[in-house]
Amino acid sequence: MKKRVTLTFPQRTIQMPVTYRLAKDFNVASNIIRAQVAPNQVGKLVVELQGDIDEIDAAVEWMRSQHIQVSLASREIVIDEETCVDCGLCTGVCPTTALTLEPETFKLQFERSRCVVCEQCISTCPVQAIATTF
Amino acid sequence: MRTIAEINDKIRQRRAVVWTVEETKAQAAEIGVKAAAKQVDVIVTGTFEPMESTGAMINLGHTDPPMKIRSCWIDDVPAYAGLGAVDLYLGATMTPEPSIEGGEVIETRESAPLRGGGHVIEDLIAGKAVHLRARGQVTDCYPRATLDTTINQDTINQFYLFNPRNLYQNFIVGVNGGDRVLYTYLGPLHPRLSNAVYSNTGAISPLFNDPDLDLLGIGSRIFLGGGVGYISWEGTQHFPLQKRLPNRTPIGPAATLALIGDAKQMQSRWVRGCYFKNYGPSIMLGVGIPFPVLHEEVINRALVKDEEIVAPVVDFSIPRRVRPTFGLVSYAQLKSGKIKLEGKTIRTAPLASIPLSRQVAAELKSWILNGQFTLSESVAPIPRDRAFLPQDSWGGAGLT
Ligand code: SF4
Ligand code: SF4
Repeated sequence: MKKRVTLTFPQRTIQMPVTYRLAKDFNVASNIIRAQVAPNQVGKLVVELQGDIDEIDAAVEWMRSQHIQVSLASREIVIDEETCVDCGLCTGVCPTTALTLEPETFKLQFERSRCVVCEQCISTCPVQAIATTF
Repeated sequence: MRTIAEINDKIRQRRAVVWTVEETKAQAAEIGVKAAAKQVDVIVTGTFEPMESTGAMINLGHTDPPMKIRSCWIDDVPAYAGLGAVDLYLGATMTPEPSIEGGEVIETRESAPLRGGGHVIEDLIAGKAVHLRARGQVTDCYPRATLDTTINQDTINQFYLFNPRNLYQNFIVGVNGGDRVLYTYLGPLHPRLSNAVYSNTGAISPLFNDPDLDLLGIGSRIFLGGGVGYISWEGTQHFPLQKRLPNRTPIGPAATLALIGDAKQMQSRWVRGCYFKNYGPSIMLGVGIPFPVLHEEVINRALVKDEEIVAPVVDFSIPRRVRPTFGLVSYAQLKSGKIKLEGKTIRTAPLASIPLSRQVAAELKSWILNGQFTLSESVAPIPRDRAFLPQDSWGGAGLT
């Protein structure tokens, strides 16, 4: 199964090779969706964990014992289709091309799997059609 | 071939043949210009894009005792009151007053989206109530000094859009060759030529299909914001003398039109307040223009393709009136999603909505097919010889 989690690292665990440990000790693959790690600061990592459900649970348990905060829900981009006017402005600032215009209709398309929740599009949208879940 | 009066007779009998400009291009390619011109009576075009030189005239009706309003705020957005006692003009780009600090430049830093004049206009059109406060000059005939009330479109007398500049015939493409993000009226432009924004719909845009404005003029009836409107004048910054290609389309911003229409008939779907981050509020508007097929040449003009029209790529990192350009690109390139500048591939994004522009044309087509919208003869042409004068604070130095 896959599980998207947000990990918050206290300063001292930042150096720890977490993804390596998850793979080696728990057989859990982690796909990094978004990383925010600045020197001498709290780090944040949005990862998609993939593996057996028991092993993912054990991995989460272990990370918590290492003082890594694990929150199970992660923010997602939501687009209000009623509000969107298909102007396309957001497609120019999306770094991963998760937002594109359909070449024939020029309607907005959103490919969630490409989105890294960088939130560039949110403030770009002139009619505030884009938000994140909580 | 046919006259406007003949076309209108057919419209009233619901026999008129109406094609959108895209249908016209496709049909003419298939059956030829001659056959197309024989068949079709009206070509409809539409656009939906930000048009910031838009505003609403409002007549409030008199209070008892009456009042001569000199300052007025609608949902905190200042409206101009230097007209008749209770006449107000609310501009789409006006920012709400609380955010103005000492009358200085506002919003140079990150800030939350502002609800400006465009949003208030949208709400009034949607039938919502808005808050109005006003201060008056006390005189013998107008003793009242202040007013605090709510209004909606049914409690005010006149409510019409009177837009000094809508419908640009072509525009620019914005890029940023600098090293920090720029927040512009084309949205955010990312540094080092990371994105390019164009704001015209290209070959489907109304004024590209009648490049010399032969088929419209003052008094032409149009679709404005979901209601019936009229072309009232040349627009501000109207510049028909812009350089043109052999197909008569201009290579940069050229003609503009001033439009007028009863806002009480409009629909908020076609009149949308909007906000550009760290630039300010504005409004997006749906405008549709019908072209009578008076002769074959009307079809020829409407065949223009995205490959055959161009816009200049302008670097916004130099904040001068005359900014350096990277030359011209075609709308076909812009619509492909990427252009090449100085060997670098840059993503392009539109700002005008192509899907909603198509819907405006489709809506106007259905009005004409239903017999509810006829064409009008214009009463005077739009001038073709306006120069574009700069404002030079240091005197002398003209446009370079
Ligand atoms: S959040 Fe970032 S990656 Fe996701 S759609 Fe918006 S701009 Fe693209
Ligand atoms: S910028 Fe906003 S309105 Fe424009 S296409 Fe993107 S989501 Fe839709």
